[in-house]
Amino acid sequence: MSARLTEPVLRVDNLGVRFDTPRGAVNAVSGVSLTVGAGEVLGLVGESGSGKSVTLRALMRLLRRNATASGRVIWRGEDLLAAPERRLREVRGREIAMIFQEPMTALNPVLTIAQQIDESLVAHRNLDERARRARAVELLDLVGIPSASVRLDNYPHEFSGGMRQRAMIAIALAAEPSLLLADEPTTALDVTIQDQILKLLLGLVADLGMAMILVTHDLGVVAETCDRVCVMYAGRVVESGPVSAVFASPRHAYTHALLRSMPSGEAARQPLTPIQGQPPRLDRPIVGCAFAPRCAFVMDACRAATPPLMLVGEGREAACLAADRLAALETVA
Amino acid sequence: MSAALPEDAAGEISGRKRTRRLRLTRVPAPLLAGVVVVSFFLLCAIAPEAIAPYDPIAFDYTALLSPPSLAHPFGTDQFGRDILSRTIAASTIDLQIAIFATIAPLVIGTLVGLFIGYYGGWADILFGRLVDLVVTFPFLVIVIAIVAVLGPGLFNMYVAVSVIGWVFYARLTRGEVMVLQQYDYVAAAKVLGYSQARILFRHILPNAARPVLVYWMTDMALAILLGSSLGYLGLGAQPPTAEWGVLIADGKNFFSQAWWITVFPGFAIVLCGIGFSLLGDGLADLLDVKR
Repeated sequence: MSARLTEPVLRVDNLGVRFDTPRGAVNAVSGVSLTVGAGEVLGLVGESGSGKSVTLRALMRLLRRNATASGRVIWRGEDLLAAPERRLREVRGREIAMIFQEPMTALNPVLTIAQQIDESLVAHRNLDERARRARAVELLDLVGIPSASVRLDNYPHEFSGGMRQRAMIAIALAAEPSLLLADEPTTALDVTIQDQILKLLLGLVADLGMAMILVTHDLGVVAETCDRVCVMYAGRVVESGPVSAVFASPRHAYTHALLRSMPSGEAARQPLTPIQGQPPRLDRPIVGCAFAPRCAFVMDACRAATPPLMLVGEGREAACLAADRLAALETVA
Repeated sequence: MSAALPEDAAGEISGRKRTRRLRLTRVPAPLLAGVVVVSFFLLCAIAPEAIAPYDPIAFDYTALLSPPSLAHPFGTDQFGRDILSRTIAASTIDLQIAIFATIAPLVIGTLVGLFIGYYGGWADILFGRLVDLVVTFPFLVIVIAIVAVLGPGLFNMYVAVSVIGWVFYARLTRGEVMVLQQYDYVAAAKVLGYSQARILFRHILPNAARPVLVYWMTDMALAILLGSSLGYLGLGAQPPTAEWGVLIADGKNFFSQAWWITVFPGFAIVLCGIGFSLLGDGLADLLDVKR
C-alpha cells in the first residue's frame, strides 16, 4: 500500500462550499485542495461537520440548491464545476461513481435490484437485454452476493444491510467507473460486515484499477485501507500525506490529538483521552487556526492568522505552527 | 470483468415474473372487503339493467308509495317506480362522478406537485399562497359558487371540482417529493448520470404515489358525497336522471309516509363510500412494504 506516484486523475483546487441559510451564510468547506492518482485510495477523515461529505458531494455537484461551490475540480483536465449539465451527466456514473452511507435509503424501494442495475447498464453501456441480464448476474457475483441470479429479482427490503451495500456497489460499478467516491460506506454496518465491505472495496479497486476517495470518521478504516489521507477540520484540510507516515508521526496538533483519543489495544479499562471542547461554528468568521481553542500546543501566532498548509516531509503537508514541536515530540518518545 | 453470458440467463428472465405473482397473495383484509364492495357497485354501474328487477323509470300506478315488500324490496315512490331499480341505475352516474370528478385533479395535481416539489423556487412560494387561499374557503362553498356561475349540470360540476381539487393532490405530492429528495437513492440516481425526467418519473414519482393513491380512494368517496349533495341541491345531475342525491331529494317531501324513498339511496351512498375508504386503507397496507 505505497503511495503511487502517478499523474493525478482528479485534482481539486481551492474548493469552497457556502450554504446560504435564513440565519446567514455557512462556510462548510473552504480552501480544500487535494489530488487522487489513478488506482489510488485517498482517505478523507474528520469528525461530524468537518466538511468531508460536503466536499465529496461538491465534486459531483450534488449539493442542495442553497449551496454555492467555488474553486476548481479538474477531472482528466476538465473542470467539473464549470462543465455544462449534459457533459456532467456523461461523467456521472460512467467515469465517476458514488456509493452512500445509508444502505436503507440508497436503493429505490419500488424497483428490484435487477431493474436498478439494468437501468445503469442501459444508461452507460451498449448491451442488449440478454447481455445486460448476464452482466447484472456477474456484477452481483463480483460483489459477493450468493446465488446472484435468484437474488437479482428481489426488492431492496428483502436484502440485509450488508447485502444492500453490496448491491449498491454493484450498481455503482455497472459502468466500470475510473473513480469511486465512497461516502462513509461502512458507518451504518456492524463491525464484521464493515470489514467484509472494506475488503470487497479494496479488492475491486485493485482488480479494476479504480481510484477511490473514502470518506470516513473511522481512523481504523483509514489505516487499513487508504494509501494517503487528508485530515479535515472545520471545513479545511489540516494535514495530508501517506497514511503510514501521518499515523506514525502526525504533524498537525489536531491529528495528534485525534490519534491519542483512540483506544489503544494494550491498556484495557484505561480512561480515553478525548479532545476537550467543541468544533467551531461555521456560520461565523474564524480568525486564526480553527483548532486553537482546543489545542494543547496553541501559541499566540495561532490565533492571529490561519496557518497555511506547509510542506512537512516527502508528500506531506500540514497547516500547523506546532509541526516542528510535534516532530520533536516523536523523536523524544 | 468480461461479459460472459451464463447459460441459464434465459431461464432467469422467466423466473422474474414468478416472484411478482407471489407477492399478490398477501392481500390485506380491508382491501379485500373494499374490492368486493366497489366491484359490486361497478357491476351495478356497468350493467344496471341486468341486475335491476324493474325498469327504473317505468311508472306503476298499481303500486304507488308501497313499502318494502318481496315484490319491491326497497319499496316504490310516488309514481310507483321501484326504488331498488332506481338505486342500482343511479350507481352508473355516481361512479362516473367518483371517477370524472377526481381524475383531472389526480393527474394535474400530482404532476404540478412533482415539479414544484423537485424544482422549488418562486413557483413553490406562489403555490404556497394558492394553497392558503383555497383552504381558507370551505370546499363545498367554492364548488357551489363556481357551479352557480357556470350553470347546473354534471359537466360543470366536474369543472368546478377539478379547478379546486388539484390543489390538494399537488400539496400532498409536493410534500412527499420534498422528503424523497433527501433520500440517497435520488442522489444516487443523479450521480449515475440519469436524466431529470428519468429521476422524476421513475425514481421519485412511484415512491411518492402511495399516499396520493390512498387519498384518491378517499377523494372518490368524497366526490360521491359531493355529487349527491349537489344533486340534492339541484346543481348536479338533473332529474329525471337517477342519481343518489337526486333520489334523496325526490323522497324528502314524502319522508313522513315513505321513508324508504330517501333511506335506501342514502344507504347506497354510505356503503359505496365505505367501499372506497376500505380500498384506500387496504391499498395503503399493501403498498407499505418498506416502512
